[in-house]
Amino acid sequence: MTKRKLSPAVVFILLCSLQPQRLAAQESTVYASVLSSKLFVVGAANPNTGLHYQHPSEDTTWHHIGAARIRAFGVATDESSKGETLYIASGNGVHKSTDGGTTWRITTGWEITEVQCVTPDPGNKDIVYIATAYGVYKSTDGCATWEQMNEGLAFPYFTQSIIIDRSDSKTLYCAFEEGVYVSHDAAASWKRTGLHVANTRVVVQHPKDPKTLFVGTEDEGLYVTHNGGKWWSKTEAGIDHTTFYAIAFDPNHPDTIYAGGYVSGVYKSIDGGVNWKRKSNGLEYQTIHSIAVDPANSSRVYAGTIFGGIYHTENGGETWKSAGLPGAQIYRIVIQPN
Amino acid sequence: MRISNLILMLLVLVAGLAVAQQISRDEYLKEYEARAKYMTSIYDTASGMSFNNIAVRYAHNIDIAWADSMFIDTLKDPHGDMFWMYPCINTYVLGKGKMSDATKAAVRNAWKTYAPYRGDTENHWAMYYASLFIAAEQWPGLPGSEWYNGKSSDENRMEAKDYLIHWIKITTTIGQGEFDSPDYLPEYMNAMHLLANFAQDAEMKQRGVMMMDYLLADFAAEHLDGQYLGGFSRIYEPAVYKPLNSAGSAFAYLYFGTGAPTYSGWATFAALGSYRLPQILYYIATDRSKPYVEKERKRVRNVIRFGNEKNPPVYKYTYVTKNYGLGSLQGGILQPIQQHTWGVRYIYGRPYTTIFGLHPYWSSLELGMFFPEEIKPLIADVVASKGTYNNPDKWTGGSPFERTFQHLNTLLVLYDIVPGTTTEHIDGFFPANLEQRIVDPSGWIICKAGDTYVGWYPLQEYEWKAEKSKEAQVKSGTTGWPGAQKEENDFWRLRSHELQNGYVIEVRSKSEIGSFEKFVASLRTRIPKSVLKPGSVSVRYTTLNNDKMYFAFPDVRTLNGKAVDLSKTKLFDSPFLHAEVGSEMLTMTYKGEKRILDFKNLKIVE
Repeated sequence: MTKRKLSPAVVFILLCSLQPQRLAAQESTVYASVLSSKLFVVGAANPNTGLHYQHPSEDTTWHHIGAARIRAFGVATDESSKGETLYIASGNGVHKSTDGGTTWRITTGWEITEVQCVTPDPGNKDIVYIATAYGVYKSTDGCATWEQMNEGLAFPYFTQSIIIDRSDSKTLYCAFEEGVYVSHDAAASWKRTGLHVANTRVVVQHPKDPKTLFVGTEDEGLYVTHNGGKWWSKTEAGIDHTTFYAIAFDPNHPDTIYAGGYVSGVYKSIDGGVNWKRKSNGLEYQTIHSIAVDPANSSRVYAGTIFGGIYHTENGGETWKSAGLPGAQIYRIVIQPN
Repeated sequence: MRISNLILMLLVLVAGLAVAQQISRDEYLKEYEARAKYMTSIYDTASGMSFNNIAVRYAHNIDIAWADSMFIDTLKDPHGDMFWMYPCINTYVLGKGKMSDATKAAVRNAWKTYAPYRGDTENHWAMYYASLFIAAEQWPGLPGSEWYNGKSSDENRMEAKDYLIHWIKITTTIGQGEFDSPDYLPEYMNAMHLLANFAQDAEMKQRGVMMMDYLLADFAAEHLDGQYLGGFSRIYEPAVYKPLNSAGSAFAYLYFGTGAPTYSGWATFAALGSYRLPQILYYIATDRSKPYVEKERKRVRNVIRFGNEKNPPVYKYTYVTKNYGLGSLQGGILQPIQQHTWGVRYIYGRPYTTIFGLHPYWSSLELGMFFPEEIKPLIADVVASKGTYNNPDKWTGGSPFERTFQHLNTLLVLYDIVPGTTTEHIDGFFPANLEQRIVDPSGWIICKAGDTYVGWYPLQEYEWKAEKSKEAQVKSGTTGWPGAQKEENDFWRLRSHELQNGYVIEVRSKSEIGSFEKFVASLRTRIPKSVLKPGSVSVRYTTLNNDKMYFAFPDVRTLNGKAVDLSKTKLFDSPFLHAEVGSEMLTMTYKGEKRILDFKNLKIVE
């Protein structure tokens, strides 16, 4: 039998069919918003903060883009732009790039500061919401102008997280100081949901069931609703901690959920948030502020820590290893599947 | 030291002696020029990479080639955010008529490629936007691609102008937020100095001049011998107990001719500038022939969590004499981390010219009120730069469990501390160089600091601790950044561990009461009556002036049977300064002379 030499195109197709997830993962981009790298003192010669990214399967180097020394609370991508449109939420306001991070513009003026979270509408690239220390703002013209949207919210307006309902772009939820609030008119007005717990830190929506939401709080643990916020229940089976900053679903297996917070390490649930197990083997820093599951490889999960940089797991949280940016506070991780 | 510098120093020392004599305008200006020269000429020959060294070379037309070379080197690694922006643009405008094209190009490129952080405090924003305004004027008509933030020259100029007008308006209507800070006055002075000296927009230039006047008026009325008096929004250690160490004292020296001669780099750009202190402010700063009360209203820094109001009012009360000033804020958390709620400062015994007390409180809730980061990790974040924050022995910081009530030169301070609070003690600072520190059988601790006498009546038991040295933070006078420094201290710490607590402070000078022995004898007849139970803390006291004061924690204050309503406090209210809340005006008065800053109409009326 003679050996036939395979053409490069055939090799590529074969590899794709054998390891579809791996190849797809090679093309994804992981973005991390860095609040501080080790010490951050305004006015000092701080090391780079702001937005970092890596292509994890190509190499483990984190590349910096955008302003070098800002306190970056959040990052978002316009998924349809394939990474060309990027947003950073920072103390300086909202930074936006439409060329993959080559050039940037601060889209906000002096009135908007301490931006905690930026959430572009995936269905309309002109609409962007931000959560700030002074409440919610909205842009309807691609960040050219902004309008404060605090109707129904009460002072103090500190808002840390805002999401758009996947099934209805006019419905939004925000994690507010006095509980989780909902808007059914694209942020024109807000009403408190059934959750009256103070100091909510993060709200996330189930990838498939839009009525299911999870909320992380300061000191009050994790809450879940299955009816769009009418009533909530505390989910605490297996949980020994009370403050949660990060919650992430596995988009491919939505019953798998990760959560982390103040000195909690990472918790994992595989039954839709009913029971939880701590999965912190290898995590040298236990305060977790951001978690992201690679949509192209559910076993690969990233955890952004406070003061410990980024950790990742390749086995769904069984073991964790440092993934770089040592000493940094990682406030948000976003994975862009290209 | 070169002979010329020695002669200059002698000149300024002689000039300093003349201060108390209320010199004429011509004499003042002559002495001012000598001080300004003294403060800047040190940088004529100083080596090393520093904007001061470069700017003074340009301003004094010395070794321009060296300045160019050093400027270009400095711009290779820009850092420092707004602390880079203001000296950079100031140096540029001072030297642009002399520097090489390559240097100009390097400066321009830096403003295109280096993105400074805007910061998170009022002083950061004042410097950021004042610098950006001047820069945008210097390079008009450029598109966003030529600026670090993607905005055009016009957009940057308008945004900066809009913010600065906003800041001036709230400052002149409800008060400054980062108010009366001996250590952060320079940041505001340098920002407003940029506008006053270099703004091409005539209105912004006028605003700069008027705000220089405004800030210096605020300082002048609460000033003694180079020191800021009263309660402060922010101060560092060791300046809190070595008052002339504050960076702001360089401006007292430059403009008032008081305090100690200094080369402090904080005032270099001001000393190079064209702004001159109005004569009326020189008189207000230095005429202490009659004691007076200065009442002021300021505002709390933006509250973003755990509050009911964005900018609650701050009430400040300061009694000023030629020997001492006793001043206080009403207490509570009015500023995070570095608040100084009350103190007496006097002219005797440099460098330890103060006695004060505090509850050395810290908490993540306090930080969370003002900072947007996660609450629990915030303490570690803050301690990275403000190392004493969670130290139970610290000497700065406000407390929600502390309140004051001051009338003239008598002060009542009460504490009702919740058990389990981060610190369950209160401290008092007493310099070891006091002439006398008597623990009298009557219960009074009675101190003599030259011609100033201080009585302190503790309402609970306490202990003394002699402290010789400690690690402290200092805001450097020349490097421009707070860093750790070993300080040799020498003071007594009064510590009391009772949670329901307080003390009465009486301060008098020899000219007010006579001999120290008479002061001691008078205090022995004045024993406060207190109730010190959880949730019920009060003190009743008849002052040496026979005023009857009653104070119940937190906010019940009566004087001679009449309730004291702090909410009526004006923006400025004293024999020298007057401003109504909301007025956008400040009237300075001195012996029939007036100077009115009218920010609504952008006019100075004399």
